[in-house]
Amino acid sequence: MELQEKLKILADSAKYDASCSSSGSNRKNEKGIGNTAISGICHSFASDGRCISLLKILMTNCCIFDCKYCLNRKSNNVKRAIFTPEEICTITLNFYRRNYIEGLFLSSGIVKSPDYTMELLIKTISLLRHKYHFNGYIHAKAIPGSSPKLLKELGFLVDRLSANIELPTENGLKLLAPNKESKNVREIMEYVQKKHSRNYAPAGQSTQMIIGATKETDLEIMSKSSSLYNNYQLKRVFYSAYVPVNKDNLLPSLEHPPLVRENRLYQADWLLRYYDFKVTDLLDQQNPNFNILLDPKADWALRHLEEFPKEVNTCSYYDLLKIPGIGVKSAKRIIASRHHFTIHLEDLKRMGVVLKRAKYFILCNGKYVTNKEFFNKDFIEKNVILEEKSVLTTNKEQLRLF
Amino acid sequence: MKNVYMYDGDFLSLLNTIVYLLKNHLQVENIKNENYNPSLFENTIHLSIPKQEIIIEQIVSSFGSFVLRSMYDVFLSEEENKEIILYYFFRNALKYRHKIMYHRNLKCVSEVLRISAFVRHEIHKMKGFLRFKELEKNILYAEMEPTNDILFFLSLHFRKRLKSEFWIIKDNKRKILSIYDKKKFVIVKEEEFQLQNLKESKEEKNIKILWKTFYKTIGIKERKNDRCRRNFMPKKYWKYITEVSEEL
Repeated sequence: MELQEKLKILADSAKYDASCSSSGSNRKNEKGIGNTAISGICHSFASDGRCISLLKILMTNCCIFDCKYCLNRKSNNVKRAIFTPEEICTITLNFYRRNYIEGLFLSSGIVKSPDYTMELLIKTISLLRHKYHFNGYIHAKAIPGSSPKLLKELGFLVDRLSANIELPTENGLKLLAPNKESKNVREIMEYVQKKHSRNYAPAGQSTQMIIGATKETDLEIMSKSSSLYNNYQLKRVFYSAYVPVNKDNLLPSLEHPPLVRENRLYQADWLLRYYDFKVTDLLDQQNPNFNILLDPKADWALRHLEEFPKEVNTCSYYDLLKIPGIGVKSAKRIIASRHHFTIHLEDLKRMGVVLKRAKYFILCNGKYVTNKEFFNKDFIEKNVILEEKSVLTTNKEQLRLF
Repeated sequence: MKNVYMYDGDFLSLLNTIVYLLKNHLQVENIKNENYNPSLFENTIHLSIPKQEIIIEQIVSSFGSFVLRSMYDVFLSEEENKEIILYYFFRNALKYRHKIMYHRNLKCVSEVLRISAFVRHEIHKMKGFLRFKELEKNILYAEMEPTNDILFFLSLHFRKRLKSEFWIIKDNKRKILSIYDKKKFVIVKEEEFQLQNLKESKEEKNIKILWKTFYKTIGIKERKNDRCRRNFMPKKYWKYITEVSEEL
């Protein structure tokens, strides 16, 4: 089989993995080729608008597992291919020299056994690091069920190591991925967390969940994420809207992947990690799913209007973060500036704080930005939804084309 | 008549001019480099001030290195009024010293921060978007047309990353090249450097085909979103980006 065809098959099977970040590592270029940038670098953007920073491929799409949602499941009749380690090195190095990519993201279907697959990954990456002195970014997927010895070896070669939990609950996994055991993924996460250091997977670990293939609520998903962040210090949890690639009566038949829902989950994920929100602030048993019309923070603010409007000159950093339309950057700027001058409305604009949404929720030097009569839930909700809708409809049009 | 003071066109000359103008309390309407065509109502004044390098150290010690870097970023931009913005910024820096950057309520400060962020952002983007092709004799060659003059900072990046390669980066807009010989890079004008007619290496075509195959395959068609793609990768860069240049 020609190299081009192999690449096509093995990139096509790898594309559903959402992670493409190349940040968090600070590898130096000693004598070979490449280094990593702590901030990560995006090299291109695919037709779906997602960043391309790593050469995202599978070692092979042969697999002994039969997970219902997966294109490469054993029972599917698709063309199979396998790269040799040298082939992967050739492509990676040639792409890297031309500045196409930031590094390699190597995953694999499970061929023969977890240990055998893991050995293939290690062999490839070890060639890159030791024979070709490649110091670019490498993200590898750890194969669940492989031995700790191999996990140890792989971690010392890569920048990021990850394992996908795939579905947010045990039941979902049993239903759709009967060969996978959540215990195995948990063991990898525990191991990586314990070993994590400057030399062992310096950029930490991440994971991914498929959204919309099973019936879990947003509350269940976010609780899972929250516990993953707390228990394993994950760098990221990625959410991947389910794209129906297989027909199976255990799977929902969707017309479009649930992209808006995916977006809400990412927004909420950010609120957990950077905005000091807790899952219980955002969702509860009565409202177990996010409002599709409003982003989670605006939705929260409208349900807690008694806390607003907040005075930007005096409220705390965490209070600033609770204001819809004000992000981490703006909040930091406000805090840094107000030691030096009293902030007036025109200063906020000059500081680059976007007021489109925030204006309903703030006092600036004692003044409410618009007419105080309009400070009520109905009025604000209507306006915020209108603004959000215009964004949603343009996105939908994009989808409808296909 | 408006007084327009002229400087050499380099950063050091601009800094020296600004300091001179402030020291002598001269009335300043604008500062421009030599290529400037004055209007009928403008009076151009050429000062011949010695370019003193010590000024760089003075700025760092009195205001901090972040202030100097931000000023240099602004200088590298194409902003029409960058010189006068830097003049007002400097004047305020004398008053607020290290704390100048916190005074975002001043127009000159917010402008310097905005422009500087814009320039740095482009440097970061171009670290990803630059595309080399391999010529004969293992030389890597790239062209670009960035909005700002970022060749120097880009070269710093590739000096580390592609340490053991020969590479050349050309800025087609400013007609300058950065040439790296595995030890150091130098930036020269186009007319000072004759690139012999080197052909692409034998492998080049195949690698390009592989890359384009990868690019086409990795997008999920059920999620196609062209607007999002253009937001992250503006069309002004596409001309030199191998995988999308044909879509233009």
